[in-house]
Amino acid sequence: MTEDELLERIASGKLIEGPEYATDKYVEGLRRTLIVSGDTELISAPAYMRAARNAPKINSYISVAGIAQDELGHAHIAYRLLRDLGEDVEALVYERDPKDFRHPYAFDVPLDTWAEMVVANGFYDRAGFCLLDDIFQNSSYGPWKRALVKVEREENFHLRHGERWMATMAADPEQKAELQAAVDWMFMMTLEWFGLPDSMKRHGEQIAYGMKGSTNDELRQTWMSTAVPLCEEHDIDVPAHYDEASETWVIDAPFPCAFDEEEKRWDFDGGEISWEDVMQRWKRRGPANEELVEQIQRGYKQLATSLEGAA
Amino acid sequence: MSATVTDLESALRRVHDPEYPISVVDMGLIRGLAVDGATARVRLTYTSMGCPCKEMIADDVRDALLAVHGIDAVEVEEVYEPWSHRDLSRRARSTMSELGVA
Repeated sequence: MTEDELLERIASGKLIEGPEYATDKYVEGLRRTLIVSGDTELISAPAYMRAARNAPKINSYISVAGIAQDELGHAHIAYRLLRDLGEDVEALVYERDPKDFRHPYAFDVPLDTWAEMVVANGFYDRAGFCLLDDIFQNSSYGPWKRALVKVEREENFHLRHGERWMATMAADPEQKAELQAAVDWMFMMTLEWFGLPDSMKRHGEQIAYGMKGSTNDELRQTWMSTAVPLCEEHDIDVPAHYDEASETWVIDAPFPCAFDEEEKRWDFDGGEISWEDVMQRWKRRGPANEELVEQIQRGYKQLATSLEGAA
Repeated sequence: MSATVTDLESALRRVHDPEYPISVVDMGLIRGLAVDGATARVRLTYTSMGCPCKEMIADDVRDALLAVHGIDAVEVEEVYEPWSHRDLSRRARSTMSELGVA
């Protein structure tokens, strides 16, 4: 099959049902997209469980454990599809260097407080939802599209969990201050999640091949269209507003910006930095990167060592 | 005029499970409804002991019943009666299969 034949098939709305019906280029693009999705879901589980240590009551802990379990299930879907593309998933998950994981930098910054946990549900799961919904609506890969129906339903619960807790905490002055502190670093962090601006990244090919339907800037807008009103409803300050004239959401802070990962603070005074600087930070990875990946890989490595000992 | 059990049930038919667009009634979670003056009593179970959505479901049920005309108090009793897929209504089953949940 030539690239033109494939593109024509996708443009006519037909789905691709397996790698044998596509070109190497398509499979490589799909592979990369699935690794980002699987890694993001996977690493969110230990990231959330870390924050759940500070759950205010046992039922809250159970809720987060349920959410983490859902995320592992979503990761499994992505990795299962990768296996069908010929990927060695064991090596991918258990033997890869933590720095080579493809989840967004946001998860490399540890979630410590309960406020950060619920804002992660309200913001990060919302970002995940925006990205997955875009894939669900526009993906040309049939097996993934069908699997995403269930994923979306479950993510819906995570979002609601975040929203409910944000509302509860916002109603109490002391807890509201903690909530605001979490929002102060996590809002900009989620904006960064969507990646390079459209002026620096061409999406034409990814869209033609049905890897995604919206550009990074469009997805950032989609995210702000519900994340900003959620905060406004509870009187939580965020550096963004809706501009009636241009009918877009506008970021009212230097973006992109330098981030102090130890203090979890944006250096707004330092002004806007370049995306090259941001990409360097992403590449270095953040403080929780190794710890979270190690949690995923620990049991596998222990088992391998004890089997070696027994042999 | 005081509320009836039918009023309570129709209010609960608008309360969806947090994950699926299926009402808590069709999910088979409501194990008893009663009206005592202005108090609504509901016996509620969950699909599992460690259901992560417990609080959300109980709160949604409480809010929906409080919104019923003639009700100003709600007592939710969590009964933890066993639940299985057989408790799903026919409607719930068809929604589930549309969503690809076996």
